[in-house]
Amino acid sequence: MTTERTRTVPGWITTASLALSMLAVGLTTYLTVTHYTDPGALACPDTGIVNCTLVTTSSWSEVFGAPVALLGLVWAVTMAAACSPWGWRSEARWVDTLRMVLATAGAVTVVYLVYIELFRVDAICLWCTGVHLTAVALFGVILVARAVSRSSTVRQAKPRHST
Amino acid sequence: MSKNPSGSARPARPANQNARNKRNATSRSAQNQGGRTTVPTSGSGFVRFRRAHPVLGALVPVGLVLLALVALVVVKTTGGPANAQPAASKVAPGSAGGGADNGTSPLPSGVLSAVTSISATTFAAIGDPSGVSAPTATPKKTSTLDASDGKPEILYVGAEFCPYCAAERWALVVALSRFGTFSGLRATHSADGDIYPDTKTFSFYGSTYTSPYLDFVPVEEQTNQLVDGAYTTLQTPTASEEAVLAKYDTAPYTSEPGSIPFLDIANKFVSIGASYTPQVLQGLSMQAIAEQLHDKNSAVATAIDGAANQITAAITAATGAQPSTSAATGS
Repeated sequence: MTTERTRTVPGWITTASLALSMLAVGLTTYLTVTHYTDPGALACPDTGIVNCTLVTTSSWSEVFGAPVALLGLVWAVTMAAACSPWGWRSEARWVDTLRMVLATAGAVTVVYLVYIELFRVDAICLWCTGVHLTAVALFGVILVARAVSRSSTVRQAKPRHST
Repeated sequence: MSKNPSGSARPARPANQNARNKRNATSRSAQNQGGRTTVPTSGSGFVRFRRAHPVLGALVPVGLVLLALVALVVVKTTGGPANAQPAASKVAPGSAGGGADNGTSPLPSGVLSAVTSISATTFAAIGDPSGVSAPTATPKKTSTLDASDGKPEILYVGAEFCPYCAAERWALVVALSRFGTFSGLRATHSADGDIYPDTKTFSFYGSTYTSPYLDFVPVEEQTNQLVDGAYTTLQTPTASEEAVLAKYDTAPYTSEPGSIPFLDIANKFVSIGASYTPQVLQGLSMQAIAEQLHDKNSAVATAIDGAANQITAAITAATGAQPSTSAATGS
């Protein structure tokens, strides 16, 4: 008889995390495409502090030459993979660690980017805010998942070899 | 939640499976007495809280993130200290009214010669590309705008912070160099905190232009330097220039009266706004832009040389002057 350890998380966590990740993928894809084509084409009102183009074309819209939108897309795609049913079923510890690190990095980056928007660019990008809300929500879901996940011991009967 | 024993703080991972099984058994034994789940009472208040409410405890970091975001918004709305930080112009603040530091620097070597030596073949190959707008003709009976020396006048009004002005200056320098010679042109860039930030370009401030056919009068109204939330003043249009602006920097030539860049070609043609999107110049140095002007297949040449073709055609139509086969060599 052998023993296997499996982690179970409620189904809603799998669904919510994947949905949020895919939403982030969609938003960051749109921001990335417009970054490389015409940032002025972003569907976004230009009223007062709301000005998407100003944010997405500011000097803070790139980090070491890489567009923040593209970095966000990479983050979202990786997060979607980690939050897929395969990711949640995975017994590999690094998947769990990766998911937690990505979620934490996302939340911390949100604080930084909101600071940049408010105090450096002096404008808010609605599409970026959508990504920010998604990232914080994902952070919460991942934390809850870790809290409620439980290890269960599943005993499976296997024939023993007699010696 | 409390029905889930493992929902509390995670124990350290046991070294082997037997140890883990043993720990699990011990945990169940200790926490599930008489069919009732109990919560350990040792540890600090926060630890006890997390054990009793694992989900709420797990959400504490999310609360901290939200708290930080709310704090940023509160500081912003109440006028925090960071508001005084300018939107990162790379040039040190200068004084208003065209002081010593006007946000310009010497032109990189080779730029002016590259801009003024574009061949007629390249201009012809690019022609009138799509995506490049032409100056708008004014009514035919409009009197010509003449300079004090009697030559037709081309009036340009812009500002160094303005990215659209940055784009338009490239086309203007290319086009005007086919009718005369610039000197004293300097390098500048659009504001870092504006759309299409840090677009590299020329500044007309302090430059001179000589031509046997026409006069060029540039007005750079402001620098690219933010002081107390406003770009410092560099030049102010004269009363007659203001009159031209009042007459032409409005409908039907623009949907946003008072916009810059404003270009008046002898009152015969008016162009308001950039002739092409400044996006094509993003991330490029002046040298890179100047070099690409000779490559008829490049996006930069298509935009700038194409816009220069349009301006050149308007100048010819307005003044009768014919452009040189290639742009003149500036000094």
